[in-house]
Amino acid sequence: MYNILLVCSGGMSTSLLVTKMEKSAKDQGIEVSIKAIGEADLKNNSENIDILLLGPQVKYILPRIKEKMESKGTIVDVINTVDYGTMNGEKVLNHAISMIQNK
Amino acid sequence: MGKIDEIYDTLLKIERDKKEGVSAIDIAEIIRLDRSNVSRYLNKLYKQKRLEKIDGRPVLYRSMNTKDKERNNPKIDLLQENSLEKIVGAKQSLAVPIEKAKAAIMYPPRGLHTLLLGGTGVGKSMFAELMYQYARETQVIDKEAPFIRFNCADYVDNPNLLIAQIFGVKKGAYTGADRDKDGLLKQADRGILFLDEIHRLSPQGQEMLFTYIDNGFFRPLGETENLIYVNVRIIAATTENPKSYLLHTFTRRIPMIITLPTLQERSLSERYSLIETFIKEESHRVGKSIYINKNSIISYLLYDCPNNIGQLRSDIQLGCAKAFLNYKSNTNSYLLINQGDLPNHVRKGILKIKEHRNEIDELLSSTYDVLRFSQKEQQIQLNYEKETIGEDFYNIIEEKINSLKKIGMDDQDINEILNIDIESHFEKYIGAITQRFRKDEINNIVDNEILIVVEEILLLAQKNLEKDFDEKIYFGLSFHLERSIERIKKREKIYNPKLNFIRINHEEEFLFAMKAAKIIDSKFNIETPVDEIGYLAMFFAADSYGENKEEEPKVGVIVAMHGKSTASSMVEVVNSLIGTEHVVSLDMPLTMKPQIMYEITKNKIQEIDKGKGVVMLVDMGSLTTFGDMIWEETGIEVRTIDMVSTPIVLDVCRKAIMGYSLDEIVDSFNKENLYSKGSVNKRVYKKDIIITACFTGEGSSKKIASIVKSKLNNENIDILPMNILDKKSFEDRVNNLKEKYTILAIVGTVGIQLEGIPFVSAIEILNNSGIETLNNIINEEEMYEKIGSSLKEHLVNIDGSVISKEAKALIRDIEKKLKVNVPLDVKMGITLHTCFLIDNLLSGVVLRKFEELEAFRNEYIDEMNLVKKCLRTMEVKYGILIGDNEIAYIVKLFIENNNSVQ
Repeated sequence: MYNILLVCSGGMSTSLLVTKMEKSAKDQGIEVSIKAIGEADLKNNSENIDILLLGPQVKYILPRIKEKMESKGTIVDVINTVDYGTMNGEKVLNHAISMIQNK
Repeated sequence: MGKIDEIYDTLLKIERDKKEGVSAIDIAEIIRLDRSNVSRYLNKLYKQKRLEKIDGRPVLYRSMNTKDKERNNPKIDLLQENSLEKIVGAKQSLAVPIEKAKAAIMYPPRGLHTLLLGGTGVGKSMFAELMYQYARETQVIDKEAPFIRFNCADYVDNPNLLIAQIFGVKKGAYTGADRDKDGLLKQADRGILFLDEIHRLSPQGQEMLFTYIDNGFFRPLGETENLIYVNVRIIAATTENPKSYLLHTFTRRIPMIITLPTLQERSLSERYSLIETFIKEESHRVGKSIYINKNSIISYLLYDCPNNIGQLRSDIQLGCAKAFLNYKSNTNSYLLINQGDLPNHVRKGILKIKEHRNEIDELLSSTYDVLRFSQKEQQIQLNYEKETIGEDFYNIIEEKINSLKKIGMDDQDINEILNIDIESHFEKYIGAITQRFRKDEINNIVDNEILIVVEEILLLAQKNLEKDFDEKIYFGLSFHLERSIERIKKREKIYNPKLNFIRINHEEEFLFAMKAAKIIDSKFNIETPVDEIGYLAMFFAADSYGENKEEEPKVGVIVAMHGKSTASSMVEVVNSLIGTEHVVSLDMPLTMKPQIMYEITKNKIQEIDKGKGVVMLVDMGSLTTFGDMIWEETGIEVRTIDMVSTPIVLDVCRKAIMGYSLDEIVDSFNKENLYSKGSVNKRVYKKDIIITACFTGEGSSKKIASIVKSKLNNENIDILPMNILDKKSFEDRVNNLKEKYTILAIVGTVGIQLEGIPFVSAIEILNNSGIETLNNIINEEEMYEKIGSSLKEHLVNIDGSVISKEAKALIRDIEKKLKVNVPLDVKMGITLHTCFLIDNLLSGVVLRKFEELEAFRNEYIDEMNLVKKCLRTMEVKYGILIGDNEIAYIVKLFIENNNSVQ
């Protein structure tokens, strides 16, 4: 079971990506819990996360978050622009999982 | 004897002297009963169908008997041809059907319900309508009696709705019946209800219909108490075989059955008349004479035409359309239909000539090898029909105001429409009169006293306004004055919606008209109102109207819709309301193939385009795609608006006539979003180009173009060299290009800042940094394309490729206003954010609040306001409100990302 957290501005654009990632996980038989939140809600949702993925438009918080989260063992990364733009759930999911496994 | 019978008898007595009808007061005076009581009884008698009611003040009644008596001596001028007898084949194959139809209409007391039988396209609908005309002509029904047509096949999937349409429905009769509604049977009271494809009526519906046919009353769906009595003649029609089981009940219960012959059963001479009629129709439509060679006529006469007259007609249209193509490529003033223009299956007709040699020889013996059909003969007739000299301005204007109000136009729009209308009508008025009367004849028509005054006024006008007035004005003014004086004397209102326009634009003439009015006032002892003075001024300014006539070319308007006459009837309404022939209609019968319709549409668009482009108004389906295809193929700019309705056509036509450009018409429509369902299709696929431009001439811009091309090495992008001689025309040309292409950038020796197009200087290109800029721009464009096409499936309310382009423009706009720069991946993120924001707002999704909005707003108040302004276009276009929380998110994205870049 992997815990994945997506962060964007106000949770506007990541919600759909979550749905698509969940579908891909189901197709592949992978057990995941994926959640999308706005950057402001981060402080209430930062426990027990395997990987935290940022939408490109909020990558300005990357330095701040990275420091805080990596100490808890959470990987932090920015979602690939093209995958994000085309809402490619499968690619984002697979990339996230391979990062967790290669940690 | 009850009171009610006493009243009935009294009425019968009085009626002998009062042929026009008896009022409640008449009876009340004789039997000394209160008038309102008498009224009540009369109404009861009317409901029992013993009396007939004539609405008016006072309401008059007469017995059914008198009416029957009148009917037995109908006032028909036997020498005069009536509608039924004018139909092609009236004395031949249709002789029996017509006799039956007349009998069905005239049969006392209320005619016979009729069932029309015949295959597809034999002309059942037309026949039904002619029966209605005949009933009116013979005064069996009122002139205003309704003729309502209904196709039972339209509701075949929903029997409840079908029955509700015909018989009406009581609230709650079935799920979805949320209020009482009158059915067509009620609406057709005193007239004729034409039910096409009657075999589609469900058994329940049939039973209800037969109840009405047998008893004269019916119950709306879900109604349990009241019966509704109406006086409606039913004409039903079906293509079913009369021997079929389905029709058995109908043929048994409907008394009059008329079978219309198939085309096969009609004689060749009838078929020839039909062909002639249809070719003339086409000739009128294209405005050219049509020549057709003898062999083609023979083909049309003999080919196998299973779908009867309807098919014959569309096959002729097809031939004409093909011939029209050839006409376009040579300069003859007529169309020539050759064998080659005919559809294949028609061409085969000539092969049957052996079997029909004698008939054909007899029929066409006196003709040349090429037959000529001219639109002129018919046009003359049409003009004659449309003659409005007998009416005066005022009635026409009032009628129009009323009908425009009915369809929900607001006052300002009505005024604009009337403005256009008055001018065109005015010209016709003056023109038509001169054509019809010579000077010596006018004495017989217009009062001499008026003629003297008109002469006096015109002489004075010549001096005062220093211009000559010809006969036209003399006649026109004389006629006009006669009617206006009459009207003023009767104290009828005169309204001139153009008054202010005239005052401002024809000041001199208006001042003179005031003088003229004084002369008129003193001669005829009336007081001319100011609106009428406005009309007088129009006569004195008449020449300048003439000059305006051939003004700028206008945007063409074409309405194309499915159905035999949907488009043409909508267009007829609009054209006659606006007083123009500007809008063109194309009907697409359901039997017509899209390819054929496409050819016809393309030809028509080529014909009506005056270089200003064409707005194509369509209902749905394949028609919505024609515009772009025609644009592609012919280069004529065509914009499509779908789901049209009469108000939309009116609006577009009005704007076209007033000289709006294509963009203005389509955009205004888009922005106002007045009619929520109509949407504008813009062309979606645009090729990417980069423009290179130089002041010094085309040579150097070509050189830059070739450098850019080789350095970019990207086949998908065209480089277009242009010269800038003056900035204004350069801008215009670039704007024109925008319609067809996506202009990625302009490369030039001097800075050229055009709205929304990035500029790269030629020097930067030479030292390669410019190429990098261009590549970035190209990547960006590609990225937006990708987002757009992937969003298409994810957004609920909006088109992904449209919104992503708009988001791109928005982001550029905000970058400029906030003086920030965000990297490409962030732009993409913001694009997604924006697209989902709009989509969510449209779906009514509750959005997350921005944390500590107050503090943020205080710090970035200017930025918030600027972004708010940038978002305004989106708000208007999509009809949404973007709140401060959402704006704060966006502002934050730009500011934070800008900082992180630096």
